[in-house]
Amino acid sequence: MDIDGGVNNGDISKEIGDINLAYMLLAQKLAKQDRAAAMYRLGVGRELADLLANMSLTQIVKLATSNFLLCSFRLDDHPMFAVFGEGKDTSLQQAHMSILMAARQLQPRDTDALA
Amino acid sequence: MTTKSVLGEVRQVQLAVELIELGARLQFLEAEVGLSRERLIRLYKELKGVSPPKGLLPFSTDWYMTWLANIHSSMFYNMYRFMLHEANEPGLQAMIKAYRLYTEQIEAHGGEIVLDFTRAYTMVRFFDSDMLQLSPCSRCGGHFVAHAHDHKHDYVCVLCRPPSRAGKARGTKRGDEPVKASSMPATPILAVHSALGGNGVH
Repeated sequence: MDIDGGVNNGDISKEIGDINLAYMLLAQKLAKQDRAAAMYRLGVGRELADLLANMSLTQIVKLATSNFLLCSFRLDDHPMFAVFGEGKDTSLQQAHMSILMAARQLQPRDTDALA
Repeated sequence: MTTKSVLGEVRQVQLAVELIELGARLQFLEAEVGLSRERLIRLYKELKGVSPPKGLLPFSTDWYMTWLANIHSSMFYNMYRFMLHEANEPGLQAMIKAYRLYTEQIEAHGGEIVLDFTRAYTMVRFFDSDMLQLSPCSRCGGHFVAHAHDHKHDYVCVLCRPPSRAGKARGTKRGDEPVKASSMPATPILAVHSALGGNGVH
């Protein structure tokens, strides 16, 4: 397996493009359906949600065909992973996740308010 | 609220339908929807096929502290807070949207809706009147529903440190009563109650 091979890189670019397109289309669908719920599910702010809702298909396709992923990783701190390391049942883990996710997005605003 | 315009009244009816479908009680509808009590009762009967239940709304904050109820309540309240502060939804819409997300997530895993709409609404009222608060867990950092002014220094949440017998009643390891367990949704909570009682001894 030659990881640096041109064929593989092409495959990767295509895979990223596919995921980007699927992601963008889903994100737009959510944003159009219900902005507040989309903000919760996607973890994006109000402005970005509005922007997503108003993008044209051409813009989405253009954006999607880049060779980096458009969505970023949301589980970027330790407790989030720890939740899944434990032997709890899935619905409890999901419950724990949603509590952490919802509160996390509120945190920056809380500190803003204090400053 | 008197709604003179036809459109305004249609919106109130839509809101009432939405709330009734979520399981709102008559007391709540009367407070939040600008329609007469008679119309609300008729609407309720048409949608549900039965008269709205009578009786008092739940009034104890203790319910929200039992193991499973605390998990579900914390889930809902975090979503509600998000809808209110992040998405800037007005109070009632924040309630509706958060409750939808909550039921959706529970149902996706085939779980049982422990927190009904009335309990959710009552909880929001308890928070507003400063009887409940969110306490940060010292382990996972998540915010969980707790009694107000109950400042435990190193509070650990019910998910990071579940009570020893939490959820065991659900598993029905003893094969003699599986039917009973599935037909009685209140069983796990009661079991956890007694487990919590037992923990307090040592």
